[in-house]
Amino acid sequence: MDRHDGFREFVLARQQALMRTAYLLAGDAHLAEDLLQSVLTKVVGHWSKLSRDGNPEAYTRKALVNQYISWRRRPSPEWPSADPPEYGASHDEATLDRIVLRQALAKLTRKQRAVIVLRFWEDLTEAQTADALGCSIGNVKSQTHHALARLRELAPELTDLRIQEVAR
Amino acid sequence: MTRLREALKDLAEEAPPVSLVDAAIAGHRRRRRTRLAVTAVVTAAALMATTAGATVFWPRGGQVATPQREGTVPDLPDGKVGAIGYAYQTPCYVSADRQVIDCRRVAWQVVTRTGTTYRVPQALVTTSKGNDIPVAVSRDGRMLAYYSRAAQAHVVRDLVSGQETTSPVAVKEDQIKMGNQLVVSDDGRYVAFDPHVNHKEPGLLIDMRTGKAVSIPREYEPISIKDGVVELVRYVKTDLWLMPVTGGGKPVRFEGAYINFSELAPDGRTVVASYFKDLQAGTPMLSLLDTKTGRTLRKVPVRGLPKRSGIFRTSVWQSPSEVVVLSMAGKNNSTYLVNVNTGKARHLADYPHHLKTRLILPGAAGGK
Repeated sequence: MDRHDGFREFVLARQQALMRTAYLLAGDAHLAEDLLQSVLTKVVGHWSKLSRDGNPEAYTRKALVNQYISWRRRPSPEWPSADPPEYGASHDEATLDRIVLRQALAKLTRKQRAVIVLRFWEDLTEAQTADALGCSIGNVKSQTHHALARLRELAPELTDLRIQEVAR
Repeated sequence: MTRLREALKDLAEEAPPVSLVDAAIAGHRRRRRTRLAVTAVVTAAALMATTAGATVFWPRGGQVATPQREGTVPDLPDGKVGAIGYAYQTPCYVSADRQVIDCRRVAWQVVTRTGTTYRVPQALVTTSKGNDIPVAVSRDGRMLAYYSRAAQAHVVRDLVSGQETTSPVAVKEDQIKMGNQLVVSDDGRYVAFDPHVNHKEPGLLIDMRTGKAVSIPREYEPISIKDGVVELVRYVKTDLWLMPVTGGGKPVRFEGAYINFSELAPDGRTVVASYFKDLQAGTPMLSLLDTKTGRTLRKVPVRGLPKRSGIFRTSVWQSPSEVVVLSMAGKNNSTYLVNVNTGKARHLADYPHHLKTRLILPGAAGGK
């Protein structure tokens, strides 16, 4: 019995889900992998405490988001093309949504991007999002509002989203 | 589910499969070993100092914590080696089936202009707390600056003469935080070190000869040291400060957000940078900025870069009208020489794709 068995089990079960979150945050597979790996390296050190009286997944997600936000400003390796493909017969709608969304996300601030990922991908409530980001609920509301406004501005194709900004 | 949620879900599905268990545990063990080694060394040194009244000693290099001496790449020998073209941090070993990931052999390596590669085991790669530590290469590739655990200070190695100078200013390993930065002057006399970019800890401009250190305000990041002047940039409002190495001078403010600053051009007053909005739009464009007035002199669309690539960094000037830029296109990293009058880019060199964020080019700040 290895003392890392519990950690191994956790990572094997949850690494792909966490990788998806990291990918949505970082926007690049290599950076996402670096981000997740550096966070998991820290999680191993706290594993005995986390497994005893914590919520490892929530802790890891929180660490992931905060590490992403605290990365220094540096050029993003995402190079969104200035002209996304036209909507048309050659691409299905989902593919175009994905391309447009990727480009729009690249233009959000890190905190706005994190809020979008936590609220609309992780499906966290405002309170849970505030806890993950270590900020107030009011700040989450404000960031969400600005992020969605920016998304509507950047991706008019997606403005029929009718996103519910209702607090949960 | 809304269309946004669907699109996020589809985008998330693009994330490649990963197997990070072993890498995370290996990373944790490496950090733990390093921490224990440092503690042991500190304890031993303290014991020696207190019980025998003897000179405090330190073991050589980072070997205590990084037992990765085997391999085909030789260690950097003492003496004359010759100028280097670039430095890079080796990646973790990943087996073809991604089941084995080994980060124990990660090290800084340098490649000479004649193509010989050397490991530099004395250059610490990460602190005991896991914060990456960069190296810096002077504009002409002659000086290599790195942080030495043995010396608890920065070291500048003149690769042409073989001379090595240890900074008289001690910097504890714990002072080096995530996002630290390092720059070295052409003559190796000055090293600019920022322990934690944009945080409360101020940076230092160290005179390696006298041990005198000039404090760099915490909001500023060192970009280059050239002709006795340190180029510092503050990103919040985008201020640029050409500070003489003895201190003094005052910043100039640019209108708008700029990033990717080059060193000062040979005319002594122009720099190029990327306007943040151009960068976000994916437009390969350089802005020429006047460091005396803060005015944007002109914007130059860059032609001749690969399709769907962008300018990742700008660095040294090779002539009064040509500046070196690092470009990334997919998995390819290449340097180009851009004529700032015509915008035409000429290919210089390619670098392996895995060096993406760990490549140190001459004249550029390490850690940027």
